[in-house]
Amino acid sequence: MDRVTNIWGERTPYARGASWPARVDQFLEDGIDEETVAWSQSACVLCSNGCGMDVAVHAGRIVGVRGRSDDRVSHGRLGPKGLYGWQANNSADRLSEPLVRRDGELRPASWDEALGLVVERTQALLAERGPLSLAFYNTGQLFLEDYYTLAALVRGGLGTPHLDGNTRLCTATADFALKESFGTDGDPGSLTDFDECDTIFAVGHNIAETHTVLWMRILDRLQGPDRPSLVVIDPRLTNVAREADVHLPIRNGTNLALLNGIQHELIANDWIDRGFVEAHTVGFAKLEQIVSEYPPERVAGICGVPADDIRAAARVIGTGDRLVSTCLQGVYQSHQATASAIQINNVNLLRGMIGRPGCTVFQMNGQPTAQNTRETGADGDLAGMRNWQNLDHVEELARIWNVDPLDIPTWAPPTHVMQIFRLAEEGSVRFLWIIGTNPAVSLPELHRIRSILEQERLFVVVSDPFLSETAALADVVLPTAIWGEKTGTYTNHDRTVHLSEKAVEPPGQARTDMDILLEYGKRLGLRDRDGAPLLKWRTPEECFEAFKTVTRGRPCDYSGLSYGKLRGGSGIQWPCNEEHPDGMERLYADYDFNTYTAYCEDYGHDLLTGAAFERKDHAQLLAEGRAILKAAHYAPPHEEPNDDYPLLFTTGRTVYHWHTRTKTGRARQLDEAAPDCWVELSPRDAERLDIVEGDWARVESPRGKLEARVRVSGIREGVVFAPFHYGYWDEAEGSESNGRPRAANELTITDWDPVSKQPLFKLAAVRVEKIADGTGAAPAPQGTASQPATAEIPGRL
Amino acid sequence: MKLDKAIEDVQVAETELAELLVKIGERHAVEHDLYHLGHTLAKRCAAHLSRLEPFAERYGAPPASAEVTDSHGLVETLRHKSSELLGRSEATGLLLLRDLRNLYLTAQEAELAWVILAQAAQALRDRDLLLVASECHEEAEACGKWLRTRIKESSPQVLVTG
Repeated sequence: MDRVTNIWGERTPYARGASWPARVDQFLEDGIDEETVAWSQSACVLCSNGCGMDVAVHAGRIVGVRGRSDDRVSHGRLGPKGLYGWQANNSADRLSEPLVRRDGELRPASWDEALGLVVERTQALLAERGPLSLAFYNTGQLFLEDYYTLAALVRGGLGTPHLDGNTRLCTATADFALKESFGTDGDPGSLTDFDECDTIFAVGHNIAETHTVLWMRILDRLQGPDRPSLVVIDPRLTNVAREADVHLPIRNGTNLALLNGIQHELIANDWIDRGFVEAHTVGFAKLEQIVSEYPPERVAGICGVPADDIRAAARVIGTGDRLVSTCLQGVYQSHQATASAIQINNVNLLRGMIGRPGCTVFQMNGQPTAQNTRETGADGDLAGMRNWQNLDHVEELARIWNVDPLDIPTWAPPTHVMQIFRLAEEGSVRFLWIIGTNPAVSLPELHRIRSILEQERLFVVVSDPFLSETAALADVVLPTAIWGEKTGTYTNHDRTVHLSEKAVEPPGQARTDMDILLEYGKRLGLRDRDGAPLLKWRTPEECFEAFKTVTRGRPCDYSGLSYGKLRGGSGIQWPCNEEHPDGMERLYADYDFNTYTAYCEDYGHDLLTGAAFERKDHAQLLAEGRAILKAAHYAPPHEEPNDDYPLLFTTGRTVYHWHTRTKTGRARQLDEAAPDCWVELSPRDAERLDIVEGDWARVESPRGKLEARVRVSGIREGVVFAPFHYGYWDEAEGSESNGRPRAANELTITDWDPVSKQPLFKLAAVRVEKIADGTGAAPAPQGTASQPATAEIPGRL
Repeated sequence: MKLDKAIEDVQVAETELAELLVKIGERHAVEHDLYHLGHTLAKRCAAHLSRLEPFAERYGAPPASAEVTDSHGLVETLRHKSSELLGRSEATGLLLLRDLRNLYLTAQEAELAWVILAQAAQALRDRDLLLVASECHEEAEACGKWLRTRIKESSPQVLVTG
């Protein structure tokens, strides 16, 4: 079956509470006989669902993949990215040797020479300017073992707080929202809750394109005998919105007002579980007081959706028996991100719907291994979900690493990536090591990011499998081994841990990130308190064993897991320990939340300013095991449409691509399905601007411009969408888009959520003008949210 | 009764805070959080003053309002531009710390002015004023906590590197 056009494959409908039928998806390269391949266990790394898969190897090459039918996540299925994306491993333009900039050009060098330069510059800066001149920016694509090595090296060895992951752009808000409400990170539910629920509430989450296999599961329920109700908040007419019972095509940036309005209705109609709220939460009085100011009529004015639809949505959410709520980037990358994400937790808490089959809230992840960045502390967290403000936690970590607690930088939260780039801009950071991510395309306001990376005084190291737009600006480029070429583990959004075996050798001299970092640490001579090497492992399995020690007794307890236990089976959830040797399906089944002041991962924040609360503030809440209901008022966005820039700009993804297309742009089927950038306009905006499908348009914000062909779609009137995948590495000579600015982040604003520090990608003021006639349809997919306009026009009041 | 004095003190403190939030936000516009939150919080100061208005009338204090405009005046634009020009220099770090410190102290003034007014409201059994004073106090306190967090983050970088 062609899974480019048939994105979700054949339906296998099932009833509530039944087991989701297995369906094994497979794709092998043309001409490969299934009998001649060897299968190697793994899991997909092209979204946070993390579907178990086997990798087919023939003559030392990866030649295909198939789903694992016994996998607890996917029951054998794979999405289009998973089926086709692996071909990038075999791409002819993989980096196979280190590169060093000489006379302005990146030239091949030996590992000794390249790493020697990196070490030399590190040591010089440590001597001249101290550890705070060093910064590291990594990804949500590595394995747990790479992250843990990085976190221990930077926090325990070098002692700089400037370490973050691109998870900051993806799920930092999920992390913070979970910590604020439940005390620690980690999604409480299980994917089987989608089998058990009777109501689904999806906020800013285009499940059909971001998590294709989860959408297959939901579609099979929607087409099964007892269809769950579906409420969707999204300014685009996504496939999820098309299936909804109630779709609220909200004005971007107003999530908080709408969610307050829904809670207003839940409380006003007494659709809340007062017994649960009383016994298991704190903060209800304040929440009730704040949301009382958001009756549907007022909210309708702010959000641009009809008051009756808000009432209808609340009725569906408020009257079901088993509610699963889920959210993603439409919340995380928008205005008042953390405050809004928390309200979704509140909805489930008010309904008493958590910790039971079919009752949970998913603060979804985006990247396949984002959860591990958070658990290991390779982002803004401390290893093992520890609280950087809690001295006992820091001392415990220092004991495990055998370093002085004072050596671990905990005077403030770890520096977030936007601040790291600011420090590089003003010149106090002089060394930036970028691992497996492409900020020259993925961060906001690209002209600024490029100008920071281009500075002479900033030494930029890039570890990457390809010469990305960012690598092209580096001083040293280190070629890395990727998925399929190394062994390691990673964890999905329902806490399922998978093992991925090394199936083939990496190309040329490419090395794993863990190996590169271990070598760097060794050359720097990083030692523990007794003079032994700080990083005591050499293999991924040894690293995993070391990480287990760090997690023992913490929420993400890996102590009962091992490579042996993960091998053969297909996914085990954490916590996995002596008490729960097979993992634990749901957290908080006993309604005992991780909000104990001594145990929690964070003391919380003021939601408007991001002020970090201190221990005494948290203790005052007297939460001690009860979930925390936090409320906040809607505040208008910082940048709103005006006379010069009258439209609202938002970015997002398409089902066929991943991030900046590093892999998916190198898989023929996926590249052909969505070969070039486009912008979406509503039919009315298009008409007003005298633009028809396929015309070339220029979209301009106060920061930059973008030129692409127009798709007239079902998007809300007044809103302009562009996919963020497209950059400049594969500009084809002579193609129509060659030389045109086509990265969506040329337009986005440098602004971030005050709590999670997640940048704002869903909100910028722009203007649009036609620049040339088109010659046919825009290069946008048809069967997805970018489907050409129909009679339905969302956002019409 | 001298409640008008306590109200005036709040008005002066919130007005000064609003002005300083905008001024420092503009001066350090390349610190994007200071710029955006500075404007947001200045608007909140203005909102505080309008909540206080009926009580100013009731207790004989002069009316007051903090003007926060989004359209950039000439002075704001100049500050913004010079911030961008100086944005590539570490030398601005010490200035940033000094400004944050002043801003924090100004926020403390406002916070304390609300404490004083809330005390008086309680003694007067003025339930409405007590509610407004308590809520505004909590928000003024959050402003101070935000600045404290920001200062804790920035000072090591400014003072220890280089």
